[in-house]
Amino acid sequence: MYARISLLALSALLIGGCANNTSPVLGSGNISYGDPKAVELVTNEFGSTDLQMIAESMTRSLAQSGVLKGRPVVQVYDVRNKTSEYIDTREITTSIKTQLMRSGTARFASDNTDLQSQVDQLKLQNQSGLYKKSTVAKTGNMIAARYRLEGSISSIVKRSSDYKDVFYKFSLQLVDVESGLAEWMDEKEIRKTTER
Amino acid sequence: MGLKSIAVVALALLAGCATPPPEPGSAASKVLATGPIEDLAIGPMRMARENGFLTVNAQLSNTDTRNKTLYYRYLWLGPEGFPVADAESWKSLTLYAQQTSFLPAIAPVPQAVDFRLEINTP
Repeated sequence: MYARISLLALSALLIGGCANNTSPVLGSGNISYGDPKAVELVTNEFGSTDLQMIAESMTRSLAQSGVLKGRPVVQVYDVRNKTSEYIDTREITTSIKTQLMRSGTARFASDNTDLQSQVDQLKLQNQSGLYKKSTVAKTGNMIAARYRLEGSISSIVKRSSDYKDVFYKFSLQLVDVESGLAEWMDEKEIRKTTER
Repeated sequence: MGLKSIAVVALALLAGCATPPPEPGSAASKVLATGPIEDLAIGPMRMARENGFLTVNAQLSNTDTRNKTLYYRYLWLGPEGFPVADAESWKSLTLYAQQTSFLPAIAPVPQAVDFRLEINTP
């Protein structure tokens, strides 16, 4: 009887051991990859879905507006965060830039974050004496931006015993650098409500 | 007659009751539901090309007497019928009882010539 039970236990162990090797996954199984496009409702603070919605709607509205004829050069400024939360607004502008590039409607001048590396690289190539003259990028040939893109995000938070309501408003505008005129403007409103 | 003939007739009748596939080019043929769509009526859809980009507007109605939350996104297809852009993020929509809403969208790239509307009703 004891031998029969041991044999049963041994065979169960062997079968169980074999069953775990059917998928190329290493780990205990309590971690998994999620859908990056899923609607995120973990908390009602600014989240990935809000970032995606804003970037998508703003870029498509701008690309389709017809203002960006001939792929003009645009300088993107940081989005001003007027909310009380920490929001990485640079990621919003990076997403907007990426999607506009993909649509093929605009080109971008080095913005304030990239400009220092751009200047450093030009100085290095021209002044260090390390590079072959025919391959060096000459100073004085950078293309100036025709438009500048700037925006802001603000929020209104209201609380009661039953609800917390957060209303975000993102505004973006395209301004002609020479004339100072706003050629395009759009906004996106998002409401997130928590019922307690 | 017999049991066999009755069974054949019953099967033929049931096959007649089955929902036929939507006509190609109709609004219903553009909808990709990730499950059964209940109490939701897909209305007419409008497609146009404005400033080189495909723009779409779809009408959606809640036929229920209660509010309904659903998730949707558009899929943009090229001339061969394959996606020309990355999948969009899912968007949440709340329709009040008996409300009709419109879902406007603009394609992300000028190469898009067709679209599909993906709907998920939790």
